[in-house]
Order: sequence, then structure tokens, then C-alpha cells
Amino acid sequence: MKISLNWLKKYVDINISTDELVKLIGARLVEIEEVIDQTHKYDNIFVAKVVECEKIPETHLSLCQIDIGEARTTLSRDVLIARKGSPSSPLVQVVCGAPNVHKGMLAAWIAPGATVPASSNQDAPFVIGTRKLRGYDSSGMLAGADELDFGTVHESIVELDPKTAKPGDKFADLFDLNDIILDVENKPLTRRPDTFGIIGFAREIAGILGQPFKTPDFIINKTSDFILSGGEKLDINITDPDLCPRYTALIMERKDDAKSKYLTELDTLISRSGMRPIDPIVDMTNYLMLLTGQPLHAFDYDKFVKVGKSQTPKVIVRAAKPNEKLALLDGREVQCTENDILITSNNIPVALAGAMGAANTVIDETTKKIIIESATFSLYNLRKTQMQHGIFSEAITRFTKGQPAGGTLPVAKEFATLTAHQLKPLALFDEYPKPAKPTVVKITTQDINSLLGTDYAVDVIRQTLENVGFVVTVKNDVISDLPQSRRGQSDEARDGGPEERVRNNSVFTVTTPYWRTDIHIKEDIIEEVGRLLGYDSITSTVPPTYTAYKNPLFTLKTQIRNTLSAAGANEVLTYSFISENLIEKVGQDPKNSYKIINSLSPDLQYVRQQILPNLFEKAHDNIKDGYERFALFEMNQVFWKSEGLTNEKVPVQFDNLGVVFVDTNSTAPGYYTAKLYAETLARQIGLTIKFIPRTKPFKVETYFEPKRSADLFVNDTYIGNVAELKNSIAAKFKLPSSTGVIEIGLDLLLPLLGNTKTSFQASDFPFVKRDLTLTVPESTPYQTVVVAIQKVLTSQGLIFTIAPLAIYQPKGKTTKNLSFHLEFAHPDKTLDSKQINAIIKQLEQIK
Amino acid sequence: MSVKIEELKKQLKGLNSDYAKIKDVPAAKRAAFGKELNAKKQQILDQITKLEQAALDADVKPIDITAPTAPNQPIPQLMTSDHGSRHPLMTELDRVIEIYQLMGFDIVESRQLDDEFHMFDSLNFPKDHPARGDYDTFRTEEGFIPPAHTSTMQNRVLKAYKHNLEQGKAIAVAVPGRVFRNEDIDATHEHTLYQCEGVYVSTDCNLGQMLGILREFFERYFGQTLKIRTQPGFFPFTEPSLEFLIEKPKSIGGKGAGWLEMLGCGMIHPNVLKMAGIDPEKYHGFAWGGGIDRLAMLRYGLSDIRYFESGKLRFLKEFK
Repeated sequence: MKISLNWLKKYVDINISTDELVKLIGARLVEIEEVIDQTHKYDNIFVAKVVECEKIPETHLSLCQIDIGEARTTLSRDVLIARKGSPSSPLVQVVCGAPNVHKGMLAAWIAPGATVPASSNQDAPFVIGTRKLRGYDSSGMLAGADELDFGTVHESIVELDPKTAKPGDKFADLFDLNDIILDVENKPLTRRPDTFGIIGFAREIAGILGQPFKTPDFIINKTSDFILSGGEKLDINITDPDLCPRYTALIMERKDDAKSKYLTELDTLISRSGMRPIDPIVDMTNYLMLLTGQPLHAFDYDKFVKVGKSQTPKVIVRAAKPNEKLALLDGREVQCTENDILITSNNIPVALAGAMGAANTVIDETTKKIIIESATFSLYNLRKTQMQHGIFSEAITRFTKGQPAGGTLPVAKEFATLTAHQLKPLALFDEYPKPAKPTVVKITTQDINSLLGTDYAVDVIRQTLENVGFVVTVKNDVISDLPQSRRGQSDEARDGGPEERVRNNSVFTVTTPYWRTDIHIKEDIIEEVGRLLGYDSITSTVPPTYTAYKNPLFTLKTQIRNTLSAAGANEVLTYSFISENLIEKVGQDPKNSYKIINSLSPDLQYVRQQILPNLFEKAHDNIKDGYERFALFEMNQVFWKSEGLTNEKVPVQFDNLGVVFVDTNSTAPGYYTAKLYAETLARQIGLTIKFIPRTKPFKVETYFEPKRSADLFVNDTYIGNVAELKNSIAAKFKLPSSTGVIEIGLDLLLPLLGNTKTSFQASDFPFVKRDLTLTVPESTPYQTVVVAIQKVLTSQGLIFTIAPLAIYQPKGKTTKNLSFHLEFAHPDKTLDSKQINAIIKQLEQIK
Repeated sequence: MSVKIEELKKQLKGLNSDYAKIKDVPAAKRAAFGKELNAKKQQILDQITKLEQAALDADVKPIDITAPTAPNQPIPQLMTSDHGSRHPLMTELDRVIEIYQLMGFDIVESRQLDDEFHMFDSLNFPKDHPARGDYDTFRTEEGFIPPAHTSTMQNRVLKAYKHNLEQGKAIAVAVPGRVFRNEDIDATHEHTLYQCEGVYVSTDCNLGQMLGILREFFERYFGQTLKIRTQPGFFPFTEPSLEFLIEKPKSIGGKGAGWLEMLGCGMIHPNVLKMAGIDPEKYHGFAWGGGIDRLAMLRYGLSDIRYFESGKLRFLKEFK
């Protein structure tokens, strides 16, 4: 939203620099996105009187001699070229192509050397010079509205009113054009419809600067009521006050020759606010919208009645029917939904409410009578209308903030007042089915200061609120030290209790002006006080805190992250949403995945059931990038439907770890790499895991090869799996066959942490180091042999470690050789060679 | 190749003659005829694929899952730590969590699938608030919501820690988690993000204390004293609401000018406290939430947010 600082200054005194102002507004209302300095935009443009004007034969041009008054003294004589043959003439010669140039008129003259204002923000601003046209010297130019940046009219030049201008006047001074434009971010003001008008924004600035704001009389409905319905009739039927809380209609009649030929300040203000002057009636609706925030719409009265086939206008405001069509005044046809609100003439649509009028009732040069609509609509419906039909006008921008119903009548009346010279008011109608009562909030100094952490005095608070239009009454010296039990009771119950101490605490009764639709509760008033006085002036302190407990899941995740990355693995993050294709690719059931109904793309349509499928895709990407040996892991939440809901009736969630191991150069089973990492991980978090062959079918881990999968158990608790991918799955992802994976349920792991017995065993006596090779049948599980070794060593009361050295199976044999490196010691004595040999012998018996 | 597959391939060939017959079929029935044939063909192709895949899987020999390796294969070794990396976002999250813990905040992780009550109702969103609409919030068929902010945990946290208040202590909890935005991605936008929420409730806490805690957090985080400022904000679940800014710290190239918007914050709306069974007449609270991605991007000078979820080792290996 573009706001003219000069326009604001008509309503509020601003005595600080623009920089300071912008900072203060940023800290106390809304960020100013851009400050556009236009203080030199109209430099060296002067009022000039066309003293002589003659057609240049066989051209559309006129040769003009203009009087530039005092401006002569400020400009270089070299550029002021007079008529040929009269070098001492006080007049300046300029050639003009506009058909409306005529003797005696006042025009805006851009002096040689000055920049054309409309080009001032372009990369190469256009600088006017002195040149020859058709053999005639032309000094500077007489400007059209488009060159001055006041609209798009190009055919004619601007004419100035002799009542306010004389030759030599600085053009900028006529309309206070040396201006600064504030470009305000709209979004933070979504709840503040009042600030979408100059008056409301100026009121905020007054509040921020600590000045009382004088709200114009018409806004507070103090202007004398005019009751007009002399013979005119108009019916307003609001079918649903939730869709349209209030509808005010003003009937006016155009006076003869209503159109002013002069450029007006209103034209310049509309332009400075980023809009374009179009037509005196439309311009006035726009001007009032920019001033007050209340959009207006003008219908052609006769067309309105004709469309509705009624004697007198019958305005019916209703929800659109599905697929109801409407031809808008911009030439588009829209198909409505039930969400849209329509203004109808006796049920025939004449406007898409809040958005745009229909072509059937648009005003034009022939319009005699008009109906001005000043209404409010449901902001929620209009937000949808806005998105549905892609209409982002200044009007709908304001309507979607929820303009207050209290404003429609005052603004309609002001329209009548301001257009009195060109339009005659005939009648005013107002339908307001459920008038809003002003919000009244009771609040104490202590409420305010205790929530903000401030020590604001009664008068400061009152003044701050009154500055921006709240009506405040104060009751002093009321009890503040209420016992907890009595807080929240009515004020009557609190007052005057003899046991309660009287302190400097006051009760404010704050009555909200109608334009503050955002104020409902005490906290809203506290926000006003804190904001207007400046949050940044509040001293920041640190409150007491207590010892925090570490979150076990986060601690575990950090441990896993550190362990796996130290073991060369790379942590990744991948999306929680995946495609149906990916789910099916790994053999899972899409019906077991929560499906997003408004996903960004089919690739992101389902909530993932496991971490691993995403990692397969990422593993493949990295192989393509040239990586040959790596491990990817991720810890994140997964969901699947068959697990159902929690007590809170939300989906059961799992925190899972997934790891995938890739080695494109190895044909050895990847399972064993995965197993090594699982063991390493378990050791780091103080757990011992067992690898048990998988017997039950997999529910969601459908891509594990059952012949090469182990269930991981800690004691009797299942925590996850180490596995290899099925060959068929690995092939689909173009991963090496026998890629190894881990998927562990961290929630399953959590309760086990810290529960394992850790008894420290040590011996001061020397450890015996021996390598041992045992030959066993090929079908004997490795672990069986390890357990047998452990049994022997334990039975001797030894402390020991067993490390694998190699597994060798000679070709064609049905036995395998298992080699171990053993270290053992006795806790209480040195083992002698006899004892050692006896132990080794016993170990060698294992088959 | 199995006999069954041979058989199916023969059937497939046989279909060719059926396809040839299509010109004899009356024009009106031709479409149906073709459709039926295509379905038949697809069915056979699917069966072949299934069988081929099964054959592929059948080739796999069982292994001794208790062994450290397969016979005659070397025993696998861990990779060295120089290959490894922690995800920068997770490192950042760990850093943030550690500071909050030191400041006395318990840590609760945010859910990644939640419901209308926690995401909107309990946070004082009006029934027809646009954020509830299709444009902004993801929804599952059942109406569950992948949350757009960690505030979805506020009601749970307030309820779970209410006993602190009864014991005369404050509620102080930080809620990190993954959140989702219905937003197309580009260099500065992601639909999947990490956030951290803070919640503090006590009998007498105030806005000055909120500013104090936030300042302390960021000063610890950046390891230097910082200038702070605020802007008015609006959130349905806080009143007053503010945007919190810090002067760009030296450690990330700040030169004394320029402000960084770090998070949104405010005093918890009385309705939000009420919804959690906390009496807003007795207790005040404040809450805030800010992005982790942004912190990581600032720290490492990253200009493209899409790296985070790319899974690319070339990116990840830069972070130890």
C-alpha cells in the first residue's frame, strides 16, 4: 500500500525526520518496505500562461508563446528561447501537439533541463531540452497528465485552474507534490482495516508520536444528517447479514457540465497512492476509499432499474448460485461459486460484491443518475472470491480486512458532500440488520503493567488510548492486592472490601471506536498500550528458570548421529511425503499410508511408512554422482495406518532410524556391514543386541530379503532389523545387489536405555592372547560357536574378549574353519602355562 | 528361465494374432475389443515381471546371520570418520536445544501428523480463518494435518506441564520439530522445514521477560552481545504479538547495520491457556517460534535452501 506523507500531514503533525518516522512506524505499527522520495520529482516545472497560440500549417502542432512569470529569473537565459525576431520578448516559445492547447489557458510547463516526472523512476529518465520542431524553436514542453504521472491521458495537456495558479508558480507547490511515498507492507495489517485509509494511518502515527488525533467529524458521524428521500424509493434486501452486515445506498443526479476541466489535487493524490484518475465519479469513490478505507461502488441508476425490470431500484444481496455467470465491467465473464456474494438488481446480478461491478450497470458519459453503494461484506467469503477469480483490486484488498459496518453511512454522506458541485443528492438508504454495539473493556493499570513488565502511570495509559480514539474513563485508587481467590470476580464484588489495601491501581473503562474491529479483550488493550508506547522501550529481564531434564530421544539421536558419522556414515534428511510409485516400488501397500489430499505434486502425496525407501533413491543419486562406497542414514518420524490412533485420536507415530550401506565394488553380502554398524551403535549406547533369524513375514519392511534378515533384540525386546535388500528391489533402484540396511525403532530402544547391567570387570594380572581356529560343520551358526567359547571361558571364571579373525571354507568341503583372537585373564591370579593349555584344549573340543 | 515364464511368453506371442483380428471386428465394438486385449497383455506382462523378480530373489542364498562375515570373505570394517558427516540442520537443532536446556527449558519434540484441534482450535484460530483452508494447510484424507508450525504442540505441552504451576514453578519448554508448508520450492522456499517453539508460563511473567529470554538465547547462540528490536505482529494464539529482530551478528558478517527477523513471539492468548485448563487470570505466558533452516543458512552462508533435503553427498560431506 502506497501512502503519501503529505496527505498524512493534512491530518497529523509530523515533526521528526522521515528516517525517524519510518523507524518508529516499523517498531510500533508496520514495516515500511520502501521510502520513495519524490521531493524533486516536479523540480523545474512551472505554471505557464499560453498568451499566443497559432496552428502551424499542415501539422497538428501549435506554436505557443507562454508567460512563465517569475520563473524567468530562476532559469538560464540560454534555454529560454523567444519568438524569432523578438529576442527581447518576455515570452517563451514552445511547440505543442495537444489539440486542447488554447490561448489564455494555464498549463504545466516542463522547463528545459527538467526531467519528465513519469520517467523519473526509469533507468534512463527523460530530460526535456530545447529543440527545433518543423523549423520552430521549442523550449521545454507543455505537459500532459501522463507525462506528469497523473494517469494515462496522453492526447491532451493538463489545464490548471486560474483561481489557484498564476504564471511562474512552481507546479509542485500547487498540489504539495514535493512528497515522500511510504510503501507499507499490507500483510501485518490484516486485522487493522482502519489503517487501510489515510485517516486511520494518520491516527496511528499520532498515537505513535504521543499526540491526540483529531478524527474528522464526518467519520464520527457528527455532520448534520440529511434526510433525503423526496420521492425516491430504493429497497435493500440483505438475505444473510453474515454475508453483508450493512448496505448503504445513495442516489444522486448528475448536474449539467459536472466535469471539471482542471487538474485537481484529488487527481494527484489518487496517483500518488498508486491508482489512476479515470472519471470524476469513480475518482471520488477511489479518493474516499484511499482516505477512509471504505470502498464505494457506483451503479448507473437507469441501467440498474432496467436490468432488474423494476420501477424503482431493488437491491438484493445474496450468495451466488453455483455456476451462476456474471459479465464483469473489465470484459471478463466469471463463473461464480456458492461462496461468492452477489449484488443483484431485483435478483439479476449487477456486481460481484466487493470485487467488481458487472458490465450491465457501469456508469458512462450518458449516465444521469447514479447509485453509490457503501457496504461491508464477509471478509472470509471475499478472500475466497479473491483467490477464486484472481481479483486483487485496491477495493477487495480493503474488504478482505473486514471494513467496519460503522463506516458505510459516514462515507456515503461524505461522498455526497464532496461531490455537491457536480452531483445532487436525492436520497440515502441504509440497511443494517444487526447493528454492532461498541466493545467496552474494563482493565486495570496492574493488568497492563504486569503483562508488559512496565510501570506505566495512569495518565500515560489513558492518554495513549485516547490519542487513537478510545473513550476512556478512569476510576482511581481501586484495590489491587486482591487475594487470588477473588481475582476474576466482578468489579462490584471487588470494590471497597475493608480487608483489602488501597493502592495506586486504577480501573479503566475503555470504549472502542467503531473502526477498531480488532479489539475484544483486555489483552487487546494491553497490546495497544505496549505497542504505541513502544515495546522496545520495555526493559528486558530474565525470569527464573529451573533445572531442565534432558530429552532422552534427543540425547539418543545425538549419540547415534555422532556414532554413525564417526564411523564414516552421512546423515541425510528426506521428505516425509513420498509418491505412490515409491511405496509400490518397495512392495508396501499405499492404503497403509496417510494420503495428503492437497499435495503439491503426486511425488509428495503419501506420508512415508519407513525411512529406507527415500534413502534408496538418494543412494542411487549419489552413485550417479560417482560415489562408490558410502552409508546414508536418517532419523525421522514415520506413520502407517494399520497402527491406528493414540488416545488423543491422532496417528501413532514412530521415530525411526534408517541406514543404507552401498559398496558398488563389493560382491560380499552387505548384511555383514550393516550388522557391524548395528553392533557398533549398540555398544555406544550401552546395549547388547542379538541377531535372531526373521521368521514372521514383514509388515512394512516388505523389501527385506527374508533369507538375509535378522531381527534385532535387546533381551526380549524387538528393536528393528538388519537386512539385505531383495535382489528384485535393489535392481529397481539400480543399487548393488545385496545392499545392506538397518531400520531401528528409536521408540522401541528408548525404554531399554540405562536398564542394562554394566558391571565393570578388570584384572591386574596379565592377559593371555591366543588365536584359535575351530572346524565346524558349515551349517553350524557362528553364534553357537561363540556361545560355546564363552561358556568355556566363563566356567573358568575368566575375563575375556573374543574377536573374529576369519571364516574359511575350503572348496568342496562341508565344514568351515572359524578363527578367533582371544584375550583372557583371571581376576585373581596369573594363569600359568599349564592352566592356559588346559583352557585351549577345552576350547579345541568345540565342534 | 522357468517353464512358467516360457509359457507366458508364448501366450504373449499368441496375442499378436488376436491383435491382427481387430480389423475384422465391427467398428462399434473395436474399442472394447482392443481394451480387452490390452488388459490381457498387461496381465501377462505383470505376471512375467512378478515371476522374473521372484526368480531373481530365489537365486539368493541364505547366510549365517550371526556371523561377522561370509565364508572366505574379509571381515567388514567401519569406514573412517573423515567420510562421515552430520546433517547441518540437525547439528543446528542440537545446538539450539542445548542452549535452551542450559537455560532451563525441557525439550519436547513436535509431531509430524496432528489434528485440527491441536493445529487450530486450541490455538484460538477462528473457525473460518484462511489458514485452515486448502491454500495453506496440508490435510490427509482423514483430516489429519502435517503441522505448519510447532505451535501445534502448545496445548499438549501446557497440559503436560501444568503440574509445574501447581508446584509454584514455571512452565519452560522448547519444542523443536519438522513442519510443512503448502508452498512450491525455490532457492528460498521449502515445503519441509524445521522450527523451534518456546513456551513459558508463570504467575507473573511478562513481555519484558520474553524479550530477556530471547535476547539471552540469541546472545548465547551467536556468542556475543546483541542489539534487539521488535515489530508488531499478529498471531491468533498470542496477544500482544511481535516479530523479534536482532542486529546482524559479527560472527556471520554483520557490520553494525541491518537487522535479521528471527522469529514471531507474544504473550499467550488467554483462550489458549484456558483450552489447556490454565486460568489466565492467575497465570501469564509467552511463546515464540522460529526457523532452524534460516539459522543454519546464516551460519554457513548458504543461499539455496533446497540443499538441505537433497541428500547429495557433495553437499553433506562439507559438514562434519
